[in-house]
Amino acid sequence: MMRAKDRLIIVAAGCSLPAVFLLGLEFASRNGWVNPTFLPAPSAIFATFAQIILTGAFFAPLVHTLTLLFVGYSIGCIAAISLGVLMGYSRAIYNLFEPLTELIRPIPKPALLPALILFLGLGAPMEITIVALGSFFPVLINTVQGVRAVDPVMIDTARTFGHKSPAVWRRILLPASAPYVLAGMRISLGLALLLVVTSEMLSGNGGLGDAILSAQRSFLVKESYAWLIVLALVGLVLTAIFNWTEKRVAFWQAPQAQ
Amino acid sequence: MSVTALHQVSPAPQGARLSIDKIGKVFTGPSGGSVKAIDGVTLNVEPGEFLAIVGPSGCGKSTLLQVIAGLMSPSSGAVRLGAQDVTGEPAHMVYLFQQYGKSLLPWMSVAENVMFSFRHRIVMTRSAARARCDEYLAMVGLLDFADHYPWQLSGGMQQRVAIARALAAEPKVLLMDEPFSSVDALTRLDLHALILDLWTAKRFTAVLVTHDVDEAIFLADRVAVLTHRPASISEVIDTNLPRPRLSIETRESPNFLALRHRLLAHLLARPGGAAHDAR
Ligand SMILES: Nc1ncnc2c1ncn2[C@@H]1O[C@H](COP(=O)(O)OP(=O)(O)OP(=O)(O)O)[C@@H](O)[C@H]1O
Ligand SMILES: [Mg+2]
Repeated sequence: MMRAKDRLIIVAAGCSLPAVFLLGLEFASRNGWVNPTFLPAPSAIFATFAQIILTGAFFAPLVHTLTLLFVGYSIGCIAAISLGVLMGYSRAIYNLFEPLTELIRPIPKPALLPALILFLGLGAPMEITIVALGSFFPVLINTVQGVRAVDPVMIDTARTFGHKSPAVWRRILLPASAPYVLAGMRISLGLALLLVVTSEMLSGNGGLGDAILSAQRSFLVKESYAWLIVLALVGLVLTAIFNWTEKRVAFWQAPQAQ
Repeated sequence: MSVTALHQVSPAPQGARLSIDKIGKVFTGPSGGSVKAIDGVTLNVEPGEFLAIVGPSGCGKSTLLQVIAGLMSPSSGAVRLGAQDVTGEPAHMVYLFQQYGKSLLPWMSVAENVMFSFRHRIVMTRSAARARCDEYLAMVGLLDFADHYPWQLSGGMQQRVAIARALAAEPKVLLMDEPFSSVDALTRLDLHALILDLWTAKRFTAVLVTHDVDEAIFLADRVAVLTHRPASISEVIDTNLPRPRLSIETRESPNFLALRHRLLAHLLARPGGAAHDAR
């Protein structure tokens, strides 16, 4: 009982800060301390936000963004895990790929956008490619580390029962390195969201990034902020889904650590 | 634990003869330096025999056993199982690891861990696999824990699961690397009785590596004594103790004590031996 109550107090205290912040903005905006053209009152933004939700206007941009995100992120993660398992398992494969990956990895991914636009145009292929590229490297690095950290006893256990290489990768290396892989995927998820919004802003043909920028360009400032709220909620929900999945995929991790 | 339940059954040996022929192993370090771990070990293990190998800590016991198991290739010499050279992991040999905690896979339930040892080799329905798994779990007294995860069990129970898993593969040769060294003394006696029961019932060839002289004498037909690193055979002793062996009585018999005296004296007397370390 005590603990539940304590937690409630902490949550309440945590929520009170944004509340104070929003009230302050509301106050400042209504009193003209800030230019309401640039920073409309939160109440007005929320009204516009409600309108976007209620009219269903949010649906098309949201689906657009989530589709690109899902496809790009999946491609990036699957490619990174596959290559990462091989690079972590075999020194030769690591030495073969390491120079190439080390060449591309440090480049801030948005800097690749102009080149990608030249080759792939402004549509979905370019957007998916940049998301996949951005998701790829954190997962790759973590998978390599995770596979290297797998205890040789586990691998030898599989070998002594006659499991051959592909089965060892799938049944031992993959699950054993899952906690590392998931940590990489968490970083990648943030990067993927960043890149999908950036590339949508550049493309200008749909999605939440496009909605935010287009609204701002048409001086629909309230709409622009309202779309920002939609995007924030997307990030929140994706993180929650990720946490839920992570707990179930690496379920043996927490109890074992005790 | 049933100590004598299975001792009465004594079917014909089903193992295969294991020949270890002048095995040597040299490790090369990353900086070029090399460590000679094994130096010309020759041993023959008869089908269905229980052989123990004792040696001081760090002398190369695990290395020797891993070479025998085909998990590591020797620098010189050869291992044969029956008529076949051991290269790679042979189908009828199973290695029971010293570190059972790392050898059991934490994302698999106890039953899944056991089925991991044979399911991929044999075409069988899920229920047939589960039946075989349950049979072996019952032998080690852990049928009720089939759907638990390894980390939900005590150390002794985990080692029982590892034993059930190794035997469920129905190996001709079971190689054991100090499988009882990290459980408490009472559990260890219990596991000794269990492994003897299972060996009597299944008659696989057993090779046990240990630094515990009592354990070696109690379990084995013959005890091979290794020298300090690099390991080579310094003596092979027949135990000649009657079977079935009994947890308490066998350990108190004059023959047991005489063997114990002889082996300990042998291990401690060597220059640079354990007595030297203890001083
Ligand atoms: N992979 C390896 N690379 C290099 N040296 C090794 C390797 N494995 C073992 N050694 C060396 O070989 C020697 C024997 O090691 P091994 O593990 O076989 O000893 P052990 O008798 O099993 O020891 P313990 O009683 O502690 O289990 C040690 O000196 C060790 O440093
Ligand atoms: Mg060892």
